[in-house]
Amino acid sequence: MKKIFIFIFIAQIFFSFLSLQANANNIKKANETIEQMLIEVKQHALDTINLDPKERTEKVKLLIQKFININFMARATTGAFWKKATSVQKEKYKLALLNQIINTIEVHLNTLSTLSYKTISTEFRGKKLVYVRGVIEDPKKIKPSINILWKLAANNLKSFEILDLEIENVSLVSSHKAETISILRKNKGSFEALLNQLDKLK
Amino acid sequence: MKKFNSLFIYLITSILFLGGCTNNINHTDETSDPFEKFNRKIFAFNKDVDKHIVKPISKKYVSTVPVKARESISQHLHWMRLPTIIINSAFQLDIENTILASAKFMLNGLTLGFYDLDDKQTNINKKDFGSTLAKYNVAEGPFLIIPFLGPKNTRDFSGFIIDKQNIANIAPNNIDDIHLLEVPINIIDVREKLSATLDSVYNSSDPYIKMRSFYIQNRRATVYNNKYKEAKDKEKDQAFEQLLQ
Repeated sequence: MKKIFIFIFIAQIFFSFLSLQANANNIKKANETIEQMLIEVKQHALDTINLDPKERTEKVKLLIQKFININFMARATTGAFWKKATSVQKEKYKLALLNQIINTIEVHLNTLSTLSYKTISTEFRGKKLVYVRGVIEDPKKIKPSINILWKLAANNLKSFEILDLEIENVSLVSSHKAETISILRKNKGSFEALLNQLDKLK
Repeated sequence: MKKFNSLFIYLITSILFLGGCTNNINHTDETSDPFEKFNRKIFAFNKDVDKHIVKPISKKYVSTVPVKARESISQHLHWMRLPTIIINSAFQLDIENTILASAKFMLNGLTLGFYDLDDKQTNINKKDFGSTLAKYNVAEGPFLIIPFLGPKNTRDFSGFIIDKQNIANIAPNNIDDIHLLEVPINIIDVREKLSATLDSVYNSSDPYIKMRSFYIQNRRATVYNNKYKEAKDKEKDQAFEQLLQ
């Protein structure tokens, strides 16, 4: 009986150690994802500065698809209405959302390349999420510092993808969700109306 | 006349303040917006004013005034707001912020706030009467769009009026003239700083909703304490984990 208790005790310690090790690995991987993405964004800004706007957009698109989980964002920004959409509508919405994110990044791409980023803390949340908090600073101290919170989770291939980004406490997913839900509610849940509205922005 | 002005301002504030008390929505994501139709009209008006007046002036301001001079003006405006921060930090019993803001106000007073002698080393939390009301659990009330000023909830608008009135009461008589000059400069300064954000709002599918969402998320995170933020984060985490399954 005593031996069984000792065995259970050792097994518990062993599994807690494994879980801690896994959390530490996930935190490290999430940090590396953000750092790698920012290096690539800076490099893209420098490499593509003389490129044709269409080519530049295409390169930004590849970058976003590599680091951001668009599928998750599309579901998160449409709430319960996502289930009512057809697969064609879902694909169209994902593309529209991707284009909106591309536009936002392109506007800030040149500015981003002149600023520096510093990670402040990384935290494992719940079962799958990792929060990476950082600050974007202007080395010349002209622009004020901007607080950033990245929310990430591992995909099936065990690499981390960004689910949401909070800039000065304003969440990208929450603000997009507020917009899409308002349009959907006004149009009695019609995804087609939402897609038409997003199409007008092109 | 001055007595009448004060009475009028306190009357308006009381009405708005009471309006705020009737809607306790502090800890929900939803926004109370019963005046949406009217707000949208004011939003459209503000957008036009921005497009035809404020944005062109702000662009000219950026292209003609050197960066250092713009920074000095911005610092001076921040210095002018420090008395409000000192008063409200004291109301909120935030002793550290009260002392730091007072020290900074006195130190930078040597340059009238145009040059930061502290070199941005001291981090002072922005406090206003809106945040003081929030500290004492006054509900935020319905969302409003104020002509020329932009988005505010009822509680913050009441706070804004009281803050302006407090400064006018504690300062010398000629402060009214300085305030008249401060308002347009402040609008241009803020417009310049928020240029990219405003452009992203105007280019969205529903600019009014986007503006409302930006304002409410940012304001709630600034006004409420860490307990509120942690509760909100936990709620969001749960929703995210459900979507990931």
